[in-house]
Amino acid sequence: MAKDPRVTNIEDLPGPKSKGEMEEWKMPYEEYCKKIFDVGNEHAKPRPLQGIKWLSCTMYIFTPHSVANLAELGAECVKIEMPRMGDAMRHTSPFNECYLYPLHDTRPMTGTGLGFTNANPNKYFLTMDYHIPEMVEIFYGLVKKFDGLTELYRPGTLDKWKMSYRYLSEINPRFIYVWGGGFGYGPKIFGGSYDILGQAHAGLASITGMHEYMGGHATKQTNWVIDWQSSNLITASIMAAIHHRRKTNLGTMIEFSQVQVPTRMLGHTTTMYGKFGIVRQRWGNWDTQLAVHGIILCGKSDFPDAENPQDKFCARYVMVSAFQDADFKELCAITGMNELYEKYKAHKNRVEGEAQVEIYTALERWAADKTRSQVAKILQDAGLLAEPVRNDREVYESPHYRERGTVRWLDDPLFGDMLLHAGYSSGMMEKTPRRINWHWRPVGADNKKIYNEMLGIPLSKIQEWYDKAYI
Amino acid sequence: MPEKRDIEINSRADTIGLMDMDVRPYPVTPPPSYDQVKPVYERRKALEFCDWAEDNLRFEKRYAKDETLAGLRVLDIGLWRLGHKFCASLFGESGAEVVSIEPPSGDPLRKLTPFGREEYMLENKFTGEKCGMEFVNETVNTHCVTLDVETEEGREIYKRMANNVDVLIDGMPPGYMDGLGIGYRQLKEVNPRMIYIWIGMLGQWGPWKDKQSKFGQWELEPFASCANSWVHNTGLAQDLLPRGKGGDPTRSGIWLADYVAGGQGYVNALAAMYWREELGGTGQMIEVTGAETLMDILDFDITWYGFNGSIKGRSGGWDPNLNQYAWNPCKDGYMMIGGQTDKLWYNIGFCLEREFTQFGRLIHEDPFLKEMGARNALHALIKTYSLTARWLRDTNRVEAETKLLEYQLAAGPILYIDEVCEFPHFKYRPWVYVHETDYGPLLIASSPSSYQVRAPFRCKWMGRDVGADNYEIYLKWTGLTQTKVNELKQKGVI
Repeated sequence: MAKDPRVTNIEDLPGPKSKGEMEEWKMPYEEYCKKIFDVGNEHAKPRPLQGIKWLSCTMYIFTPHSVANLAELGAECVKIEMPRMGDAMRHTSPFNECYLYPLHDTRPMTGTGLGFTNANPNKYFLTMDYHIPEMVEIFYGLVKKFDGLTELYRPGTLDKWKMSYRYLSEINPRFIYVWGGGFGYGPKIFGGSYDILGQAHAGLASITGMHEYMGGHATKQTNWVIDWQSSNLITASIMAAIHHRRKTNLGTMIEFSQVQVPTRMLGHTTTMYGKFGIVRQRWGNWDTQLAVHGIILCGKSDFPDAENPQDKFCARYVMVSAFQDADFKELCAITGMNELYEKYKAHKNRVEGEAQVEIYTALERWAADKTRSQVAKILQDAGLLAEPVRNDREVYESPHYRERGTVRWLDDPLFGDMLLHAGYSSGMMEKTPRRINWHWRPVGADNKKIYNEMLGIPLSKIQEWYDKAYI
Repeated sequence: MPEKRDIEINSRADTIGLMDMDVRPYPVTPPPSYDQVKPVYERRKALEFCDWAEDNLRFEKRYAKDETLAGLRVLDIGLWRLGHKFCASLFGESGAEVVSIEPPSGDPLRKLTPFGREEYMLENKFTGEKCGMEFVNETVNTHCVTLDVETEEGREIYKRMANNVDVLIDGMPPGYMDGLGIGYRQLKEVNPRMIYIWIGMLGQWGPWKDKQSKFGQWELEPFASCANSWVHNTGLAQDLLPRGKGGDPTRSGIWLADYVAGGQGYVNALAAMYWREELGGTGQMIEVTGAETLMDILDFDITWYGFNGSIKGRSGGWDPNLNQYAWNPCKDGYMMIGGQTDKLWYNIGFCLEREFTQFGRLIHEDPFLKEMGARNALHALIKTYSLTARWLRDTNRVEAETKLLEYQLAAGPILYIDEVCEFPHFKYRPWVYVHETDYGPLLIASSPSSYQVRAPFRCKWMGRDVGADNYEIYLKWTGLTQTKVNELKQKGVI
């Protein structure tokens, strides 16, 4: 740096450069974070993946959400559905209770079920029947213009129609092609897969739930967690492939099997079996490696007079954590378990199975005449870590998520008010935040936009395709 | 195969070493060969495509291919949790040079071992240092460096390292690094291109932000999944099992929210990098929390509350959205059966009524159950699964699977880890394989991103001793010589 030592520029000196910056430096950290993330103004900031274009030849949750992540980050994503029918998740809803109808519906019988929520935000919706050779030609036209696609069909299906990576990379060598499914090459290649199969087959179910001796069963994670988490990891692979392409100008194919994902997240389970021959079992609401670090049942509900049974009967659980020696000592002192402290002073003793049974039983006995909030408050007031197990209503009403904008209402022009708990919650970014434009749109809502405006196909032709159910 | 010998087992301690991989080789049955798999490919007339896929995607070819993020520098600081570690591991698996900073005493996660059993810790074959299995499994391709950032000299070194990194992962409590004068606010002045990711449980700001106990104990999972209704919604309902005896809200067997947060941290950071490199952007701060990223993928649960005030309850192994789509107890474990569309729904029935004729009469002839959507009503689930479980009661997992697969259904048993590791497809890919490490050969899960034409993710090493890479990294990243590092070690800074 050939700088003139006689000249002093304020920019070169350490410390704040302006009054605004000085204020920023002096601000309490929490306020500073709140200021830079600037909740509610996401749309005024740039999109990180602006210019990336992705095709979503997907259904259900797993593969659509891998593209939804890109769409939230600002990529232009087009979802291709079967004409008339659309994604099967549109017809899925909890207990068949909840369907949303567009305010301006031309086909009033086709509501969209809540099962479709969160897997397809910000996408454009196109219909196309790949079985028609004429449409495959149109598909090639899209491939030339797009950066990549995600698909989920049985291996070889798109190859049969000359739509696999082998063929598409000839048209567009920069194309990034993702297949997402259950198994991939190998003996079970044609095996169908669901989220629940992943949970069951790959070991996650075998270690979730109450222990057999406590009367429990292997338990399903409440959400389609393997679909969703696998989709996030597909997006991770896509982002890595985009960076590889920046350097080499070459596309790639990613084969991603969701049934494998839970095994990767089992921590020590696989290694413990390999080295010590131990088959890990369920350990309920406690932790196999830490004690005290578990969820306990309190005697009384927080809302005994509530109408909703989830509030009335289930607001009784608290997560209690006091595994460090000092914390455990304090916990024992408060709950009158001093003899247990004497017995289990060392962590390695209190984390033993029998010790855990004894300690948690004593804790629940202490909590038997208390409500959930009483237990949490007593422990928090003593400076220990304890939090109630919250339900959907409490999450909705939480000031935390409200202030951070991770639970918020969206006023959709087609479907009306909809509560969002996704998108904004997948991570805050200071300068290029994620955002939700719309949650979903009707089947084929953007046919005109894509076929006519992007590809230049005359409207009369589009009408003809529509009448023949090609689109 | 080692020779047979007589052994006496008086306690658990006597079994250690009897199960290791040289005594009890893995796998017990060999993986399927290509010749066994080829007919599967041929039956669907997809041999050519499948051969192409094997040639281009095979796991065994990963090392010969590119590493996507080669040349990228990532600094990771954090304790206890898996969120920042999983994120750092993803960077490591995709080729970045990742350095993880621990205090000179090491990350306390290293000491964790199931039920406190020290005999199940892994021992470094060369140095004898012991480390818990969880830590080893969740630190993939990261260099282990020690540094006490609470000392003045430590902070100076930390700043020097941070000046040169592309990504910094902060897994410390909210405001901790900022309070030391080495947080995002200060570091961005010298390195404005740095992408700074904070990964935690609930947030570094807001009414429910991450807490510590008065003794300094951290919040760890499942605090995050308790805060977003995930735990409340998981488990068996009290109608199915008595409360306190299995019919309770249930946590995941793993530290689930940590893995979700780590994955999203990686996605957001790479998007920020794309903006920085391709669109003329700068560095920025990213905040990822376990509670929120898991809420992001909580199906529609909170939206449902907004729709009609429903608070989701627990439904055990059943799914409230699809029928059939559940697992139920069977003769020797649990059997998962799935099939929602009419075709699959009736196929399940056709299979079951071969042995259990009433199933067909009670299910197929019920007019209410004929419409796909209507089958998801709660009483329809109860009826369907009661009858299915009646059939499963007398059926083994393997019998049930064989019979159901004849009808082209997605059905499978719940597998325990020994069965997972011996599952033929898992061994063929392989999804579980033996990796040679400093701790001896370990059975580990492969990265699901390892199956790519050009730049697959890969595990090169896992876990390392506390401060194992001090000399190399300090020399390379900060120019500190061996003598200087030794001196700082004496002072307790490194």
